[in-house]
Amino acid sequence: MQFILGASHVLAMFNTRINVVGQRVAIAAMALMVLAILVQVCFRYVIGNPLSWTEEAARFLMLWMAAVVAPTAFRRGGFVAIDMLREALPKAMASVLWLLLLLLALVVLSVAVDIGWSEVTGFSGSFKTASLMTLFTVEFADGFPWIAIDWGWQKMPRNQMMASLLVGAVMMVLMCVELILREIIIIAGKGDALPDIPQTDIVGAE
Amino acid sequence: MLIWFLPLFLLFLMIGLPVFFGLLAAPGILLWMDGQTREITLLYRNLYNGMDSFPLMAIPFFMLAGEMMNRGGITLRLVEFSQAMVGHFRAGLAQVNIFTSMLFAGLSGSAVADTSALGSMLIPAMEKEGYSRKFAAAVTAASSVIGPIIPPSGIMIIYAYVMGESVAALFLAGILPGVLVGTGLMLVTNLIARQGLESPPLRRKATWGEAGQASLKAFFPLLTPVIILGGILGGIFTPTEASAVAVAYALVVSLFILRSMTWKDLPDVLLRAALASSVVLLLVGAAVSFKVVVSLSHAPEQLAAFILSLTENPLLLLLLINLLLFIVGMFLDAGPAIIILGPILGPIFVELGVHPVHFAIIMSVNLTVGLATPPMGLVLFVASSVSGEKVETIARAILPFLAVEVFVIFLITYIPGISLWIPTVTGFISP
Repeated sequence: MQFILGASHVLAMFNTRINVVGQRVAIAAMALMVLAILVQVCFRYVIGNPLSWTEEAARFLMLWMAAVVAPTAFRRGGFVAIDMLREALPKAMASVLWLLLLLLALVVLSVAVDIGWSEVTGFSGSFKTASLMTLFTVEFADGFPWIAIDWGWQKMPRNQMMASLLVGAVMMVLMCVELILREIIIIAGKGDALPDIPQTDIVGAE
Repeated sequence: MLIWFLPLFLLFLMIGLPVFFGLLAAPGILLWMDGQTREITLLYRNLYNGMDSFPLMAIPFFMLAGEMMNRGGITLRLVEFSQAMVGHFRAGLAQVNIFTSMLFAGLSGSAVADTSALGSMLIPAMEKEGYSRKFAAAVTAASSVIGPIIPPSGIMIIYAYVMGESVAALFLAGILPGVLVGTGLMLVTNLIARQGLESPPLRRKATWGEAGQASLKAFFPLLTPVIILGGILGGIFTPTEASAVAVAYALVVSLFILRSMTWKDLPDVLLRAALASSVVLLLVGAAVSFKVVVSLSHAPEQLAAFILSLTENPLLLLLLINLLLFIVGMFLDAGPAIIILGPILGPIFVELGVHPVHFAIIMSVNLTVGLATPPMGLVLFVASSVSGEKVETIARAILPFLAVEVFVIFLITYIPGISLWIPTVTGFISP
């Protein structure tokens, strides 16, 4: 138990940190997305010279924005779910149920990481985007050290966008493991020793 | 085998698995048991491709614009404007609450934002004037559902994307239904006041000077819907571009004109919008991959056959479907419900001759009203937390308002013109 408690603390600390990074990236990406589309509108109407790369750039930013901030939402309980049953059940049973659901989520996320990796290293990932240029590309390959940076001004390969979901899934695996450890500790009756995860109200599209 | 994905998904949903995981796990598990592991890769690809969309980008942008508008200032100006317009009606502040919701709906597409912004300001004010707290909270919650009906609307962007409809057409189709809900609520409020169930003092009518002042102050916020809709209608922007322009406009108005926000608030505003939209984007992506399995499984055909075996009368079927949606809306938020049910139900009714845009509006309005129905009504919870009144108490007080909203759903269902007239005359759908 002591081991699980320790692991949970370390993981909690780590997760808080990478989520802060994710949040900062998302904030920047969100601002740049708006900028890209405004530039697009401006060039088309004011300057009369439509740009081709702005839409792709904005989609690139949106994918990364969503992927890196979703782990924060997941950890803070922001994913939509019907929690009536959990609320109706006695506390201990609700915890066991939640643990099982988290394990199922972990399976989904692990499969996603596995497929995500083969997607970014795969054939379709090497296709170039239509018009988005980049100064460097991150290359993915099986075998240590898995990633390498390739400098050079060139059209961006698609896997630079596809990697967003992979990174998001890896981060969510970490969050999921942390939540699982927490639930085990709670079931073991040591819940008081856990640090709080700040909860945020996250509204949906409603 | 694959046909079981729907019951399995419902089971996951009922026991509390987050919808996102359920949408992937249910079809994934069955494909795996079937030995179709290649198709699981397809699930992943559709999740990714579903998120990688330009039209969908309007969701983060409208959320961002809404967040900016919510920072103080703008809500207050809308309320003052409404007071000048309808404040002297019977049960004036309640009418102001509803009227402001209609205006607010043109700036933001969110019922939750409406409830929290208006509720925190108007519920205490209404209490001070002698309304009961439960009534004040119920009016706030009931009128906030206008938010996603009058454009812009996050729910309609999602529907349009998942179902391949035009966002502009859905936006336009939502205008009259939204106004109808608002008018209905104002009438009931009047009726309740006439019966003496709530008896606040009458407020005096605003003078022309006061009305002018209030209009001037509300001018910039109220220009937002004009820019958004005008831009889309005039063919100047796509809805996504319009949403980005709305962000820029909201930023300029709140930073420089109204000064209701400072640069320091900006990161927080951006983060809140990012968090909310990431959840929605993942859901929509998962829905796209779910939809592929839906069509692979022939579930819609079987479900259609079952539904048609009950009756083939489209009018009766629409009644049944409204009942189903209403029940679903009691338990599930509108966004996820549309994502899950749209691909299953939409094709059935289009086949029966219901116009796709008409069906979109029936579904959106019904599920949006579901946000205010117990036991799981999102805006009821928000109204409860801003007012401090218990959810059960608000749920009882909201019943007369819900009755009107149900009545409006009937009108919308059986008079297609309410939804289709504006998009038809503006040429966004062919008659």
